[in-house]
Amino acid sequence: MTFEPVLLARVGRERSQSIDTYVSDGGYEALRKVLGGGWAPEAVTEEVKKSGLRGRGGAGFPTGVKWGFVPKDTKGQPVYLLCNADESEPGTFKDRLLMEEDPHQMIEGQIISAYALKCRTSYVYIRGEFFHGARVIQRAVDEAYEKGFLGENILGSGFSHDITVHRGAGAYICGEETGLIESLEGKRGQPRIKPPFPAVFGVFGAPTIVNNVETLCCVTHVMKRGAEWFAKIGRNEKNTGPKLYCLSGHVNRPGVYEAPMGLQMKELLFGEDYGRGMKDGRKVKAVIPGGASAAMLTPEEIEDCPLDFDGLAAKKSMLGSAAIIVMNEDTCIVDAARNLAKFFSHESCGQCTPCREGTPWLHRVLDRIESGDGRAEDIDLLEKISNQMANGMTICVFADAAIAPVLSSIGKFRDEYRHHVERKACLVGPRAAVGATA
Amino acid sequence: MSTPAAPAAPPPPPPGAEKKTITIVFDGKPFEVPPGINLIEAAKLAGIEIPHFCFHPRMSVVGQCRMCLVEIEGIPKIQAACTTPLKEGLIVKTTTEKVRDSRAANMEFLLINHPLDCPICDQAGECTLQDNAFGYGEQRSRYDERKRQYAGFDRTMIGPHVIADMTRCIQCTRCIRFCSEIAGTGELTFLDRGGRTLVWTHDGEPLANDWSACAADVCPVGALTTKEFRFRRRVWELEKTPSVCPGCNIGCNISIESRDRIVYRFLPRLNPAVNDYWLCDYGRFRSEPMNERDVTRVTSREGSEVKETTVPAAIERLATEIRKIIDSRGPSELFFLGSAHLSNEENFLLRKLADYLACGNRDVVVDKSRVRRMKSKTEWIEGDHFGANYAGAVDMGLTPGAGGHGLADVLEGRWTPDLVLVADAGFAAAADDPEAVARLRGAKFLVAAARTANALTRAADVVLPAASLAQKEGSFTNVQGRVQRFDRAFLPPPPARAHWELLLMLAAALGWGDRNWTPTDIRGLIRGEVEGYGDVTEEELAGGGLMKKGLFVSTGAI
Repeated sequence: MTFEPVLLARVGRERSQSIDTYVSDGGYEALRKVLGGGWAPEAVTEEVKKSGLRGRGGAGFPTGVKWGFVPKDTKGQPVYLLCNADESEPGTFKDRLLMEEDPHQMIEGQIISAYALKCRTSYVYIRGEFFHGARVIQRAVDEAYEKGFLGENILGSGFSHDITVHRGAGAYICGEETGLIESLEGKRGQPRIKPPFPAVFGVFGAPTIVNNVETLCCVTHVMKRGAEWFAKIGRNEKNTGPKLYCLSGHVNRPGVYEAPMGLQMKELLFGEDYGRGMKDGRKVKAVIPGGASAAMLTPEEIEDCPLDFDGLAAKKSMLGSAAIIVMNEDTCIVDAARNLAKFFSHESCGQCTPCREGTPWLHRVLDRIESGDGRAEDIDLLEKISNQMANGMTICVFADAAIAPVLSSIGKFRDEYRHHVERKACLVGPRAAVGATA
Repeated sequence: MSTPAAPAAPPPPPPGAEKKTITIVFDGKPFEVPPGINLIEAAKLAGIEIPHFCFHPRMSVVGQCRMCLVEIEGIPKIQAACTTPLKEGLIVKTTTEKVRDSRAANMEFLLINHPLDCPICDQAGECTLQDNAFGYGEQRSRYDERKRQYAGFDRTMIGPHVIADMTRCIQCTRCIRFCSEIAGTGELTFLDRGGRTLVWTHDGEPLANDWSACAADVCPVGALTTKEFRFRRRVWELEKTPSVCPGCNIGCNISIESRDRIVYRFLPRLNPAVNDYWLCDYGRFRSEPMNERDVTRVTSREGSEVKETTVPAAIERLATEIRKIIDSRGPSELFFLGSAHLSNEENFLLRKLADYLACGNRDVVVDKSRVRRMKSKTEWIEGDHFGANYAGAVDMGLTPGAGGHGLADVLEGRWTPDLVLVADAGFAAAADDPEAVARLRGAKFLVAAARTANALTRAADVVLPAASLAQKEGSFTNVQGRVQRFDRAFLPPPPARAHWELLLMLAAALGWGDRNWTPTDIRGLIRGEVEGYGDVTEEELAGGGLMKKGLFVSTGAI
């Protein structure tokens, strides 16, 4: 059975961004159905719950359940919906494609979600570096206003909604929902203390739901074709729907691929429809399955490895943003860990002590090991620093994310670290010979 | 709501029982604490220290320093105490191995980039980082990389008083929150992020609000210090004396910090009803003028000659002059001028002396300044006098008596007394105004007690060196009507004496009062005679106990 793309169905179509082609391809039908077909907002939420849709941003929390956290009585406060388009997890580039190629799919989902949440105003918080994406989304929003899908009394239903596109300033941490909220309020992008959770106390102090771009796109299709249809796609009832996978690294054909949730890792890497195997026939050394903050997997671990929330949780890693980064046997794992540590050191917001001080420390020690100044005790030190940064030591889970590549690489490739500190050189890769005499 | 530590709704009380406290179990022992406070404060009430840097009772809770980690039963992960809402039956563990390890880990992180040069840091001795490192840190660090430097952001004056050194900063944001939440001026902000995060002023604008040095007070480390005190004294050498700010009539509670009879600084002393944790820059930097003294000798003019004399001799001469005038022309030729800068005790003695001599010519004048503001725990208080005690002086009865003359009569030339006794030569700007002084000099005999010289002391016949605020004990009544006692930090240098002592000597020489009275005795008289002061007990004046020597707050006179 070949899988018919859902989310990427219109990608590649000529003028796929325009509202005309979107409508002629059946776009905004779901919205018409919801607003004109006697769907109560609660019924939409129920439908999304039934679909089994789980958030596509990283945590995989059931979307309908999340919506249900908004208090029934908001005490006169508005409810806000924020579209998290601050895609910045290294290796992730699915939301960018969705926004740049098919913006109306997302906007339609956003309006439907807003209806379900009885939300008058929603925001698209788009990553600062997505210049083109922001233009495309803004144009699409303008078109939606012109055609009456946004604004007062949408399609004569009595439901009114406005979308504002807000560009970020280039911080990874603003993808964390409370960091995003702070940033949207015009403050420094720093995660908030929870509780209170955004569903109770979010942007401007009002109940707020933050959903990922891909999640909102899925909502469009849940309402267009029904929860049952959606729930049938996927490995099991807990991991449903179509999923975008961002494949990158040493494979023949990197890119964004759509498949039913729970695609086998091996199929993604080697399948004819997907990655088509390793570049130059090299062997797999390690795979990061869910963006930089997911633990690395070894070649043994990617055997029978369904790419979904529970499949990867069983391997003590995570699906995260479904960014599958493949590293071949010539990759120096210490160098890879160093590179990721550098990223996290650069992106820490700096409010909590362990993360502010710990992430640069990890980076410096890794830098030293990689450049041949490592000592035997450094490997244990890295583990100890990591273990005292996370698990409640900080406000948000950034530190937990930052230590994942360090701990998993040491846990699974300790020999390579040892080689570095003993021989002052990489075990493999272009710098394998450097300093070998030392 | 951004401060989740403040519980929105206290837990519902059991029916029929109105419960005013909630029970928290600290390390196995239950304690009753009032609702609405932070867990760190609750622990303190229970006698348990939870180390912290960023938490401050008057600021929003940010949970950033991660020092106040504790274990809460029912939550697997370690928790920051400051962000944990108080609720009935909360079980808190502060001594477990996990808590110890987490705090030690956090201390290690805090210290890796902090210069470990306490011997040359001015904060040493009153540094929370130093204290917590000793209390909760490990002896050794495993950090062996280069320490972070902040080129261009070290040892820089960021305002008229505050010097910032970002290499010492631990990013607790107390100073930022002080400026935005207490002062309401918001000069400070975080710049950059991650390990490069630093505190600086917005767009290079100066940190110049009226309370800017409080930013250095709340700084737990040596990142913000004041230009005026920096490197003048090691803080553990300083003696702390509870006192009241002489800067204006708000009467902020201060601690006079002195050593070897030199005042080095004023620090705010907690009093939630007046200045809370704060002190304005104007008042704070009245500390250095405390050390000024150019009236060092008792002088007496005889004819055109100014001679040095002793206090008893000068007092005797003054008493003789007074008696002579009373005998020849009557007491209505005397004029007693009190001061808004003098204590209740001193103004009271002056008025009693005038009464005893049956003289109604007495006065005190307002020494007006610009409006100064101070934030108590609950409200803004305004003051607009240079003198801290105009209200008290008026309460003590230092306004002209029936048929008596006041200062205005003298200055406007309507009346020239034979003898003018100026109890405080710094009573107001008029004391240094040649015209006003010429009017006062119209008297045959002009006497003044003074610490610093001015036009009045140069014109006076007898000048008695008097004590500074730090050199005497007494009480002030502030703009709220609150009577507050101040203690003596050290004795005045001989021959200078406290104003009250000089007045007592004079009264005794004239036949009234007891030379051996102390300010406490005088307060006893005030209690018996002055309306509204009857309830101000010594216990209240000395009570409170929030500082070593007491809070000295009275609510009796409000």
